Amino acid sequence: MNKLGLVFFPAFDWAITPTHPEREERLLYTRDQIVEEGLLDLPQIHEYKPQLATLRDLERVHIGVPNLRSHIKDAHFVSAGGAITAARAVKNGEVKRAFALVRPPGHHAMRMVHGTRGFCTVNIEAIMIAHMRKHFGIKKVAIVDTDVHHGDGTQDIFYHDPDTLFISFHQDGRTLYPGTGFTNELGGPKAFGTTLNLPLPPGTDDEGLHYMLDHFVLPILEDFQPDMIINSAGQDNHYSDPLANMAITAQGYARLADKLKADVAVLEGGYSIEAALPYVNVGIILAMAGLDYSQVIEPDILSKQGKSNLGYMEKLVQQQWTVWKNREQLAKEQIAKWGDYFVRQKNIYYDDSGIQEKQTEKVRLCPQCRGFMTIATQAETAYYDSQSAFAAIIEQDACPACRCAAKDAVSKEIKLGRYDHYFIQDKEQDTLETIK
Amino acid sequence: MWLGIDVGGTFTDAVLVEDGKVISQSKAPTTHDDLLIGILAAIDLAVPSGSPLVIERVALSTTVVTNAIIQGAISEVKIVLMPGPGLNTEGLFPVKPALVSGYIDHRGRVVKRPNEQEVLAQATLPGKIFAVAGKFAVRNPVNEQQVSEWLGKCKPRLVIAASKVSGSLNFIRRTNSAYYNAACYFVFEKFAQAMEEALAKRAITAPVHILKADGGTLPLALAKDYPIESFFTGPAASVLGVMALQPSMADTISLDIGGTTTDIALWRKGKPLFAERGATIAGYNTAVRAFRLHSVGIGGDSYVRRESDKIVVGPMRLGPAMAVGGKEPTLSDAMIARGDRVFGNKEAAIAAMASLALPGQSVQDVANQVIAEAAYIVRQAIEDTITEEIAQPVYTVNDMIHPDPFMPHELIGVGGAAAGFVPVIAKQLGVSYIVPPRAEIANAIGAAVARPTMSLTMRADTAEGFYSIPELLLKQPIHSPQFTLDDARKILADHLLERAREAGIRSTDLEEVYTEEFNMIRGFSTIGKMISCSLQIKPGVLMYFNEGQGGVRHE
Ligand SMILES: [Zn+2]
Ligand SMILES: [Zn+2]
Repeated sequence: MNKLGLVFFPAFDWAITPTHPEREERLLYTRDQIVEEGLLDLPQIHEYKPQLATLRDLERVHIGVPNLRSHIKDAHFVSAGGAITAARAVKNGEVKRAFALVRPPGHHAMRMVHGTRGFCTVNIEAIMIAHMRKHFGIKKVAIVDTDVHHGDGTQDIFYHDPDTLFISFHQDGRTLYPGTGFTNELGGPKAFGTTLNLPLPPGTDDEGLHYMLDHFVLPILEDFQPDMIINSAGQDNHYSDPLANMAITAQGYARLADKLKADVAVLEGGYSIEAALPYVNVGIILAMAGLDYSQVIEPDILSKQGKSNLGYMEKLVQQQWTVWKNREQLAKEQIAKWGDYFVRQKNIYYDDSGIQEKQTEKVRLCPQCRGFMTIATQAETAYYDSQSAFAAIIEQDACPACRCAAKDAVSKEIKLGRYDHYFIQDKEQDTLETIK
Repeated sequence: MWLGIDVGGTFTDAVLVEDGKVISQSKAPTTHDDLLIGILAAIDLAVPSGSPLVIERVALSTTVVTNAIIQGAISEVKIVLMPGPGLNTEGLFPVKPALVSGYIDHRGRVVKRPNEQEVLAQATLPGKIFAVAGKFAVRNPVNEQQVSEWLGKCKPRLVIAASKVSGSLNFIRRTNSAYYNAACYFVFEKFAQAMEEALAKRAITAPVHILKADGGTLPLALAKDYPIESFFTGPAASVLGVMALQPSMADTISLDIGGTTTDIALWRKGKPLFAERGATIAGYNTAVRAFRLHSVGIGGDSYVRRESDKIVVGPMRLGPAMAVGGKEPTLSDAMIARGDRVFGNKEAAIAAMASLALPGQSVQDVANQVIAEAAYIVRQAIEDTITEEIAQPVYTVNDMIHPDPFMPHELIGVGGAAAGFVPVIAKQLGVSYIVPPRAEIANAIGAAVARPTMSLTMRADTAEGFYSIPELLLKQPIHSPQFTLDDARKILADHLLERAREAGIRSTDLEEVYTEEFNMIRGFSTIGKMISCSLQIKPGVLMYFNEGQGGVRHE
């Protein structure tokens, strides 16, 4: 069986604003191309209607301030649900792989949610992974983020999770939103080396992309042996994308999908809605279904411009490969360096909501368990009062001492009364508690 | 007075109807080698020669096209295909197409023109029948038109452009529709001619209509150009028959229980559902609009036996019921033995059931078991059908959040074996049922009263500044930047009504099949609208039957 499950949800009635890149029209031409090519009739492809994700599914990952419901639209339940439907179809053995060709996207959404950033409010891959871990006993997951933008939301959510390998290649953060994704972002002390970033120079073409894939991504996946491979399949690396400056073609994307053999691909960005998306999506669908994609070629292909600096790529691969090879030793050093707690400050900008968030993340490096984390967050906008919150996140296997310490940390802050809202996200109990 | 004829697998039925009543009905064996013999026999029985009855309309549901395809008695056709870049189409067409250059993109822009030399090199086929198809030709027919013109110079017997046959997206389906349309063209033409001559001999001068798979009819003159539309019309006739005999506004399921199969149709708020993308013909996907029917291998003649102590029914048919001289027990024998149906020799039916009885088991008990077993299979098929309907993808948030779930509470049964069988299925499903009077000739009635229909599709791209109506091979400029969906509807309605008038269709009752309107934004400003619209002359029935106040609903 080499069947592809396709969850196609173009959300023809949803837009961030009428003229926003995330608007009703975004997948219209993709729909036209898929239907005109007759892809939905092929026996190798089965179309699925998305299920609706539940608030529980969403809050297994996110903590919304003051609450998640106030930030999300119905559309988010559908796209997160679409990703879940895709993963379930694969794990139930109905299809070999699945592609959630859905909107709205999610890879810029972090754990704490104050609004929408990079067109994303909730992280649909993370929600899918949490769902699959809860209901299907999946443990090790690899996420390969091939969107042109750094998947900073996904990186944030899994930064301390050694069971989730996050590899993102993207246009160098010095030249593109969100301005992160550098090689020194490698994961928290106990998950050191399971976050790997490959910033690529603007203009990188198929050759460069496949160099990284062949010499880095595929060997690392082979080494990591995940239970599930997820592709955050953004399509804005395309040479025609208006929001970025790369030079990947539909063939480049299709060959990527063919080699990566992701269990589930989830659409992320991609805003060249006419010149790229119809062809890139058809290419990915055919490749994932094991069909011939060699004739999927953009009509304007001659106008493409691109060149890869293979010398740079080689050095980059070498550097990150060294991290991967020595990650256990490096993790030990990190833990020794940080002691009981790992602390980092984050400044997070919500471009769609006009919010500036300041975050202090503090992770307990417990020798007995995965520990717990506290997040102190303060978000300011030009229009409203600031919203602040303090949250404790208790990991699945937290030892009794860590459970206690996490709750104590929240109680202590409540007494001090410095924040507007208090939360305990308990992964063991699968709950999110809002404490008044 | 209207004459309806349904050519079935075993019998050809004819009915004469007027004012919601059946005036006469007849049955003659279907003559598969020459359908016309059976058709005329049925007509002669229903309308005896010298009869003073005045026939105003003849409507025919025929298997002439279906038979020709199944028997391979169709013309050789060359597909001239402009696939452009994309999917590898190998194996998706009944014959290997000749690939030529030429490409239209999704916006209807010509990316590449076709090449005359390449096209003419394909024009050497002895039969000279061509189907021309191009990807996105429905967005701009110019390439298909050009290729057809070039082929026209080589004195072909027939050239069919695919976008004329279907105006919807899916070029594989359009191509196959055009192929089969071309392949059946001459078979159907011959049949139509013979039919007209035979009717003329009987002094029947009324217009002749052919039933289509979508339940509408086409006047014979126009049907000749679209023979493939008459593929698989038996089930369509049955759906129309249900509509005429037992109109309902609810979500319902209708069952047409025939000799070898039961056809399941779903109805939403009184309207039968269509196959999402088109009918499948001989294993190939086409754009032929057809009702969404699910066939399950249970019918009156289904073979009944014991397999390791368990009663097993169907899906094969080994012959007729033992009650009418068959050699093996059938589902009908169970019904006859129970007294649900009265035909043939009841004693033989009882003997059939007795032969299946376990020691000490009564005939009644065996018959009950046989029917329950058969009903169980149909019930499962119905449940699968409903599950499938609920799983139909939707593409808007609104449709996801406010679903309109299909919740049938009623079963309507027609067909020869409906009477004893439908109640058992309904009971298993926990719904009420109706078997309307005349259920056994629902197909012929459906054909007799089906409305003529016709549809057209428009795509307007106000940014590119043109609209196209593929079925007319029409591409026109749009002058006003303010062009709206309403303007599109109006233009399309005018074309549709004119085309209908030309075809002798009097109905002006239009219905929207589909509309879509998108704002096109480039660089944060609106540059135009993308409008799709499909209209049809309203399908349905021209007459309802209320003899005996319709059927009785059994809870
Ligand atoms: Zn992106
Ligand atoms: Zn601990």
